[in-house]
Amino acid sequence: MNIFYKLVVSTLMITGFAGTAIAQGTLVNQTEGQGTIASSSNQSWDGYSEVILIPGASLMGPKSATTALYLGFTGGAEADIGNMVLYQTARNATSVLRAIKVTLGATQSPHIDLASSSVCPAQPVSVSNPCIVRLDTLNFGLSPSNDYYLAIYFTLDTNNESISGMGASAQPGALSGFSLYGDQTQIKDGGGLPEYENTDQAPFFLAYVANQ
Amino acid sequence: MKTIFKFATLTAMAFAVSMPGFTQQNENRVRGIVGPVRSNTSWGGDSVVSEVPGAALMPVLGSTTAFYLGFTAGVQADINNMVLYTTRRGSLKITAVTPVTLGGSSNPSIDLASSSVCPVVEISANNPCIVRLDPTPIRLVAPNDYYLVVYFTNGDSNNSSLGVTAPTFLQTSLRGSYTDADESQLAVGASVPSLGFTGAPFLLMYVMID
Repeated sequence: MNIFYKLVVSTLMITGFAGTAIAQGTLVNQTEGQGTIASSSNQSWDGYSEVILIPGASLMGPKSATTALYLGFTGGAEADIGNMVLYQTARNATSVLRAIKVTLGATQSPHIDLASSSVCPAQPVSVSNPCIVRLDTLNFGLSPSNDYYLAIYFTLDTNNESISGMGASAQPGALSGFSLYGDQTQIKDGGGLPEYENTDQAPFFLAYVANQ
Repeated sequence: MKTIFKFATLTAMAFAVSMPGFTQQNENRVRGIVGPVRSNTSWGGDSVVSEVPGAALMPVLGSTTAFYLGFTAGVQADINNMVLYTTRRGSLKITAVTPVTLGGSSNPSIDLASSSVCPVVEISANNPCIVRLDPTPIRLVAPNDYYLVVYFTNGDSNNSSLGVTAPTFLQTSLRGSYTDADESQLAVGASVPSLGFTGAPFLLMYVMID
């Protein structure tokens, strides 16, 4: 029996060194986020939605039990978000399997005060001083067997006429985004994603996808 | 001392159950095909050649490799042969040839009209049928490149109406091309056909450890 215990202890020591689990508190990318901040060709976002693909086929191990989405802003005084959802589809499919609420400060329709130094420490917000906002952590990990689309609808108001996102960078990583007029956050389970024309475009607002 | 061993045993067991690194899960080895796909039809007599660059491999554990093929049209895919060529990174000279199988066969016929094979029938570009091949007993490593060749039987009416996935998004690490000859019979020392491999591949969707 002693031999068995010794074997277990040896195994534990070996695997303790060799394992690939994430050390608690370590920030790990779930997919390749955006590189250089460009903020080029931002449109007026009032009344528009941005829909951003997070491909399951791009996810990197190790797996995480939580997911954090980070938005990047490079201009504007306040971003008024009408709604945010994360659509889950089968890989490479266009039917929504599940629409998941995405929140900031526990609300799906936050007003982000970009002029506040408590929200954006480097003022004023610009390409040189981008403001990265972490949305509320989602209590599930992303699966390589699914694709995910983050949809953000910007309310039709004057604040959103002058906001700009950090993206459209030359190094989009694994993320792709496209903008559509109207609220694209209301698709129900079983519904189809909107059609779009632009592919391989870096998203404007989603900067990073991490574990926390 | 015995108490320490017992405590260690319990810890080890709890660790093994909870830690993802202990069990092989379906993890990507490279960035696969992303986003919606289109359909490209008529593949009889063609070899689809897909490159898995060693330079794109993610450092995940796993001693086997699973290839996933995507189909978008047709009722049956008749594959004459499937093989994986290994080359040194950046070289086309073959250093190893590994058979690739589905259901234990290198020349499977895939029933795309069966809901047990393709859960959403009728398959289409919106509902592609993703078929996982048998795990190939090879661990892909960074100093090598790999070329998956799938040769579709020539003069076959099923393959005339066969549709495979064609990427619309190009943000993948996979590269590929095709040619109208059987390129699945090459031996060690021969060269993978020089097809450019500048585009995203048809057919091959993902490369995973499970």
